[in-house]
Amino acid sequence: MIKFLKPVPRWGLVIVIAFIGVSLSAEVDLSGTWANRGHQDWLDRGRGPDVVDYLGLPISEAGREKALAYTSALQSEPERQCEYYAPTYMVLGPFGLNIWNETDPVTSKIIAWRMGAWIDKDIDTVWMDGRAHPSKNAFHPYSGFTTGVWEGDTLTTRSTHMKVAYIRRNGTPTSDQTTLTEHIVRHGDILAIMGIIEDPVYLTEPAVMASIWEQDPHANVPRMSQACEPIAEDPRLEDGTVPHYLPGKNPFVNEVTQIYHIPQEAVMGGAETMYPEFRKKIKDKYIRPEKCDRYCCGPVTDPALKCIRDGSGKER
Amino acid sequence: MKQKLMILLVVAGGFLAGTRALAHHSFAATYFEDKTEKIEGNLVQFLFRNPHSFVQVEAEDEHGVMQRWAVEWGAGGQLGRQGVTRDTLKPGDHVIIVGNPGRNPEDHRMRMVNITRPSDGWKWGGSFE
Repeated sequence: MIKFLKPVPRWGLVIVIAFIGVSLSAEVDLSGTWANRGHQDWLDRGRGPDVVDYLGLPISEAGREKALAYTSALQSEPERQCEYYAPTYMVLGPFGLNIWNETDPVTSKIIAWRMGAWIDKDIDTVWMDGRAHPSKNAFHPYSGFTTGVWEGDTLTTRSTHMKVAYIRRNGTPTSDQTTLTEHIVRHGDILAIMGIIEDPVYLTEPAVMASIWEQDPHANVPRMSQACEPIAEDPRLEDGTVPHYLPGKNPFVNEVTQIYHIPQEAVMGGAETMYPEFRKKIKDKYIRPEKCDRYCCGPVTDPALKCIRDGSGKER
Repeated sequence: MKQKLMILLVVAGGFLAGTRALAHHSFAATYFEDKTEKIEGNLVQFLFRNPHSFVQVEAEDEHGVMQRWAVEWGAGGQLGRQGVTRDTLKPGDHVIIVGNPGRNPEDHRMRMVNITRPSDGWKWGGSFE
């Protein structure tokens, strides 16, 4: 016993420290294929949000005006059909995720994490080698520019240099000055990403969104985006028409109010509509519809499961 | 039981595959998803592609005026998994299409619900949601 407690030689100390260094490293392996679990905001992430619905988004007046001018026919213009969303789409979109890393061939240290592309999103590269963000005047690619740092078991990333994009797929905009901070956490087979989107042009406060994935080796999620070829999607646009609604002319402004009885002041969004206190403010203006007319069953696709959400007894 | 399981698997598969094709724009914001309309006419062009395929058909509108309709369909890869290839439809094919009408009637645009080619009885009624 006494012999065992003899002073350790210096070379032994080096080995011990090296092993401790490995075991105490905060880095977590994020690589693999991850299936999206769209259990929240399923309408937004799945078939898409209602045409005019900005509820819960801290949009500015400029953001609201731009959103009301939007028609989805805009994305049928040949020059827009194959555009990618910005990296903010990571916490908005419905897709699986393929993550891998790039290592330094000499040191084997991870110099970047690659967050795979989707059909409408570029590969996002998270640089881990401490490089600085480029000048604010540098080119804004579809992937933006992202750096990351481990904070304990959480990978925190910061994205800048993004292109103009959408924070909701009904035309609610984000500007090219938008920044995204992500906190990426792996809990076993679950991957959670929380995104904080800040935009001095179209948002008045940060918008916080989150998405969940589950590791699935059978998910078959590609790394690269599938080829997209611009075509004449909409014959009406062949004369160069730029589809839009003029101020005050959007015909769908009242649709959400008519269907769900949600007051206009809520549908039009704004920072106030993010907070629980807002529900108290509109309490007396909201009358719950007697029955559910559409999207009543959430993301349920099991035909054996009956979905009755009102007193009619009729399956919907 | 086996048949029920098969139906469940097909529908679930359709859903999982379908989620790949609907991100480009919001279907709910583009079409009246709670309405359907039917057109019958001759196929002008079949664009088998990503992010969404399109079928263009010359058919009469509700006033009897001939229009060129753009009918949005699933992504190429997604339709491929449902047995549709780029050679499945050809210009000149006479087809009957049921779809969700576009929000702007001037667009003469629809989202595919089902398509039938009476000449050989070929049908598609799958899902890309």
